[in-house]
Amino acid sequence: MLTISKIAALAGVSTDSLRYYEKEGLLAPSSKTDAGYRLYNADMVRRIHFIKDAQNCGFTLSEIRDLLTLRGRDSACCGDVRRLAIEKKLQLAARINTMQRMSSALDELVAKCTQGALPLDACPILAALDDGLGELH
Amino acid sequence: MVKVELLSSPGCQKCLLAQEDIRSLIASFGTDQVSLRDVNVLDELDYAVELGVLTLPAIAINGKLVFSTLPSVEMLRNELTKYF
Repeated sequence: MLTISKIAALAGVSTDSLRYYEKEGLLAPSSKTDAGYRLYNADMVRRIHFIKDAQNCGFTLSEIRDLLTLRGRDSACCGDVRRLAIEKKLQLAARINTMQRMSSALDELVAKCTQGALPLDACPILAALDDGLGELH
Repeated sequence: MVKVELLSSPGCQKCLLAQEDIRSLIASFGTDQVSLRDVNVLDELDYAVELGVLTLPAIAINGKLVFSTLPSVEMLRNELTKYF
């Protein structure tokens, strides 16, 4: 059995992260000492890596909890996990589109200001934001 | 002609089950009244994103996302009858 600091070091996460994962229902210590210290099985490292890898793919902790629940469900199949992955891809693509629009709007704002030495009350960027960005879209 | 698009992904069991009921319902309207197009979101990701699809399967009618989650056959029937 490993203490929280040892399992955190093995998995490459902070002890605060482990406590947060526990709070979010993603993992739990196998037992506790009489003094109340958390103890973990060594195989918990795999679960922590699963959580980190899923986070790197854009899954939220709530979605990762769903993935972990799905993995333990007899009636679930690989297609269910694939659907969640495709849905995440759709969500990321939508966010990328939104960010590209924001970036284009910023391009247009920056293009409005060709003289950086103007006083603030003559700043074309602030003026455009004051007037609304509707014309930029 | 009402154009229904079923946005799903191959291999999605939930999508397959949905298709059975939906195909039957749409067929009951007649192919001259309601058409059905299967959209594989992986092949048409940009189109799916443009529609606002975030979950699967989803249903668009006449180019607009109407059901972002699986509707019951009755809900879809009610929606389709609005177009006639």
